Amino acid sequence: MDKSEALQKVNAIFIDVLDDEDLVLDYTTSADDVEDWDSLNHIQLVVAVEKAFKIRFTSQEIQSWNNVGEMLDCILSKGA
Amino acid sequence: MIFKNGDSFDRKFLVTETVYNGFIATFKDTNPLHTDEAFAIAHGFEGRVMHGNILNGFLSYFIGECLPDKNVIILSQEIQFKKPVYLHDELLFNAQITNVSEAVKAVEFKFTFKNPAGKVVSKGQIQIGLLA
Repeated sequence: MDKSEALQKVNAIFIDVLDDEDLVLDYTTSADDVEDWDSLNHIQLVVAVEKAFKIRFTSQEIQSWNNVGEMLDCILSKGA
Repeated sequence: MIFKNGDSFDRKFLVTETVYNGFIATFKDTNPLHTDEAFAIAHGFEGRVMHGNILNGFLSYFIGECLPDKNVIILSQEIQFKKPVYLHDELLFNAQITNVSEAVKAVEFKFTFKNPAGKVVSKGQIQIGLLA
């Protein structure tokens, strides 16, 4: 899977979790850009991504992300 | 993380008059299925059917009071009602941890309530978060 494919998959997860059919993520999107990406939804998003890609994150990893692109880099670094 | 995949928890919950009357007094659901014995029997039940959401109260108690960590918040919940529950039923509750996400301190359980005959009357899933 390349980064573009991972972005599409993560975008679908965000649409489902945040109930926003119009949501379009790009590599620079951050929580500040998405109205409903708050601390509680962040938990749901991370759990959903872990399940979808069959990976586990550490708390240090998720705290290091500044945007969706960095999340994707982390996902891909785990061989997803 | 105090919670581990596969951890299992058991409790008994009794549907008492106090629980039943308290639910009606609080939420005002006096639908005849729940309050009229003859109506419930005429529709094929053994008696007044307890409100399914009484079980949600038991779930709230389980999460809030019975876990080894009180720093918890319910994030999501799904519940199915499979069979009727009657007044004075003693329900056997079991919850098993099915997923632990260390990164965001989220824990998921699947649960069942069984009636005195050993039949599953309700089942579902709960996701909780551990407060920082």
